[in-house]
Amino acid sequence: MGVIGLEWRTLARLLGLWLMAVCLAGGPAGAIAEPAADGVWFHDVVTPAGITHKHTNRSFNNAYAHIMEGYTALGAAVAVADYNGDGFEDIFATDSKEDGKNWLYRNNGDWTFTEVGEAAGVAGGNDATNASANALWFDYNNDRQLDLFVARFGHNQLFENLGHGTFKDVSEKAGLTQQYLNSIVAIAFDYDADGDLDLVLGNYFQPVSLFDPPTPHFFPESFETANNGGGVTLYRNNGDKTFTDVTDAAGLRLSGWTLDLGHADVDHDGDDDLFVAADFGTDRMFVNNGDGTFTDITEQAMGIDTKKGMNADWGDMNNDGLFDLFVTNITDEYMREGNFLWQNNGDLTFSDIARETGTYDTGWGWAGKFFDYDNDGWQDLFVVNGWVSAGKENYVVDVFKLIVTPNVDLSDARNWPPMGNKTLSGYQENCLFHNEGGMLFKNEAARHGVNSKIDGRGVAVADFDNDGRLDLYVSNANTKPFLYRNVQPTGHHWVQFQVQAARANTLAIGTRLWLTAGGHTQVGFVNGGNGFASQSTRRVHFGVGRAPRIERLEVAWPSGTKQTYTDVPLDRIHTLIEGQAQLQPFQASVKK
Amino acid sequence: MTQAMRQMVSAMVMMGAIGLVSVMGVWASAGDALYQAAQEAAKAEQYEVALEKFEAALTVDPNHLVYGNAYRQTVVKINDSKTYDRCIAFFKQLVTDHPKAANAWMNYGYAYVDKIPIEGAITQVLLANTALGHFSTAVELEETWLSRYTRGNSYLYWPAIFGRTPQAIADLERAIKMAQETTQRSYHVRAYIALGEAYWRLSNPDKAHSIWREALQLFPDNEALKTRLELDAKGLNDFLTAHFEPSRRVDTNVSIIWEEKD
Repeated sequence: MGVIGLEWRTLARLLGLWLMAVCLAGGPAGAIAEPAADGVWFHDVVTPAGITHKHTNRSFNNAYAHIMEGYTALGAAVAVADYNGDGFEDIFATDSKEDGKNWLYRNNGDWTFTEVGEAAGVAGGNDATNASANALWFDYNNDRQLDLFVARFGHNQLFENLGHGTFKDVSEKAGLTQQYLNSIVAIAFDYDADGDLDLVLGNYFQPVSLFDPPTPHFFPESFETANNGGGVTLYRNNGDKTFTDVTDAAGLRLSGWTLDLGHADVDHDGDDDLFVAADFGTDRMFVNNGDGTFTDITEQAMGIDTKKGMNADWGDMNNDGLFDLFVTNITDEYMREGNFLWQNNGDLTFSDIARETGTYDTGWGWAGKFFDYDNDGWQDLFVVNGWVSAGKENYVVDVFKLIVTPNVDLSDARNWPPMGNKTLSGYQENCLFHNEGGMLFKNEAARHGVNSKIDGRGVAVADFDNDGRLDLYVSNANTKPFLYRNVQPTGHHWVQFQVQAARANTLAIGTRLWLTAGGHTQVGFVNGGNGFASQSTRRVHFGVGRAPRIERLEVAWPSGTKQTYTDVPLDRIHTLIEGQAQLQPFQASVKK
Repeated sequence: MTQAMRQMVSAMVMMGAIGLVSVMGVWASAGDALYQAAQEAAKAEQYEVALEKFEAALTVDPNHLVYGNAYRQTVVKINDSKTYDRCIAFFKQLVTDHPKAANAWMNYGYAYVDKIPIEGAITQVLLANTALGHFSTAVELEETWLSRYTRGNSYLYWPAIFGRTPQAIADLERAIKMAQETTQRSYHVRAYIALGEAYWRLSNPDKAHSIWREALQLFPDNEALKTRLELDAKGLNDFLTAHFEPSRRVDTNVSIIWEEKD
């Protein structure tokens, strides 16, 4: 009698068993059971999602290659954006090996992704004289299509989005290939308020070819005060699809070893300021003068430091209306620098409260991103770490010998000991800090299954399935990434805003939003790529806990316009368009 | 009577034997007078004067542990990079001029330790390593409880990976043995505390506890021992990790050595 003859109870049992097997196997991607309140809230779905690539560190083929191996475990980056405008966030991920291709994963809207990098024309980011290090989605020509910038050790790339899923390399036309730069970070914001997005690049090494170095003196000259790095490059957008290097004119000429950049309007004066995180020497804080120039206020704002700044992410962690800053450094048993959690004092000075808040020690830290993972209305922090996890021997003893060698020329790569298969600050657990009311952060990484010991680099926060729970993509050095789906069961309310400017700066980078729900006000902003090796969603997300309604949303647009909305519906994504009195519905329908 | 004082007395006896007692007496009182003037200036916060007077006193008697200690505590009070560098440079010259002055080497090492908290992580490593070298010179010139304890304790600030913990144990066990051969002083407990910490560093908390329990028999009122014995494994880890934090100032004031009377 076959299936028709099976008793219904047997069928139900078989269905239940199948569902359980599917849940345990983690796929199909959509089938994850809601966890208990004390269960695991993040599930790695990278494999069922179809994200199958593995990052590979660049190997060099020059006289210093055996030494460079240990110091160039970089380049695993991610940039998230909805490049095809279908309402689902897509993923661009970099590889760094010579014949490695970069990957563009189109979100299919069901927790699966399709890799389309070659078809789109954006896969070619590596060759004999260039290594991909980072990526950034931004609209360089204000045509409301997301273009793609790839930061490279070598010459950078800019791909113009032609629509219909294809891109064109316009790097040379845009004036971005004239300089050889060892760029490792790129952010975009309208620094001069002229209506188009400018590019700020952070460069690590000085501008010499790492593939065929003309000199052995390209390593840092000091562990604490190095000034022989690549500094920063500011490209002003000319509004005609070209850029001009205005670094000097803007007052941003530096020579440190830049690892990250972060912009935010820290003094709420209507223009975005800039923080530069630097390795081997001091970080820098620049205030935007509003006239196309910046002033270095590091000494009075934070003080000069000698630490190894690796990350810059801005977020209001104590809900006082001011953007605070999280910077990772190196903290291990042999070197205890501690991270910075710079609390904004509101007067262009900052106080470091990392120790007091429990965020001081995250190992050899890399990306650290503010996000509200449980929608309780407080910005939590996810931090990845680990430098090189390799063999049993510890490389720190070799570094120590270098440090104590009298009169050693550190800038000479030949003086640095090769790492070989040794480990340095490896096998460290990532940290997921739950914000306990703005005063303390509690590490819940182990509880939620995100305490991997793999060497993490970038963290992109995005709501990949538009369910109001912020997910995470983690790029790892020399291996597969993680794609953590957030299944937190709190039932806390939330709201997201896809923000669009009326005319210029179409992505509305820099727009600030104040949301009041249940009598409490939070502030967020549209950011142009802050955080090491990663670009998170451009949407502005607010968790509001059990608040029954959103009383008010106040918006300060980069154009200077201000708008207020009342009684904003909860638990949905809104499209917020400059000048329109009503919030618009958000559309999401998968495009193939 | 401390070792330093015994040395001074020995020197006076020898000098007296060759008829230089009167000169020696003038020499000894000159150092003391300078020292007293330095102390008064420091008390009045006339720090530049104080530093000059301390340096003058030490120039007269480079091996004087008391003078050197007071000089360095004034430098710590001022707590700026320039003054620490001045102090280091002064002791560098002192040991160059008086290479066998063991206490001068001790103070030279302490001067590096005093500067550690204000420096970056890499410079801290360099300062600590240099200080160790100077403490080793002091031990070689004159083995005292203080020199053995100081060097042994200094080794403990290095993570186990650097392989210095066994050297710490050797020094601290030697310091304990030396203490056992003299009258027990309250500060002798420090060697026991540090020895236990050495075993903690080697991930042997049971041995650490056993040492501290043994020490508590000898020093039943010592709070530092009681604290360490009362903590559970995690608590002890957190406590000692904080204790060995490089940016936390190590108290290099050794005045207890001569202040504790019989």
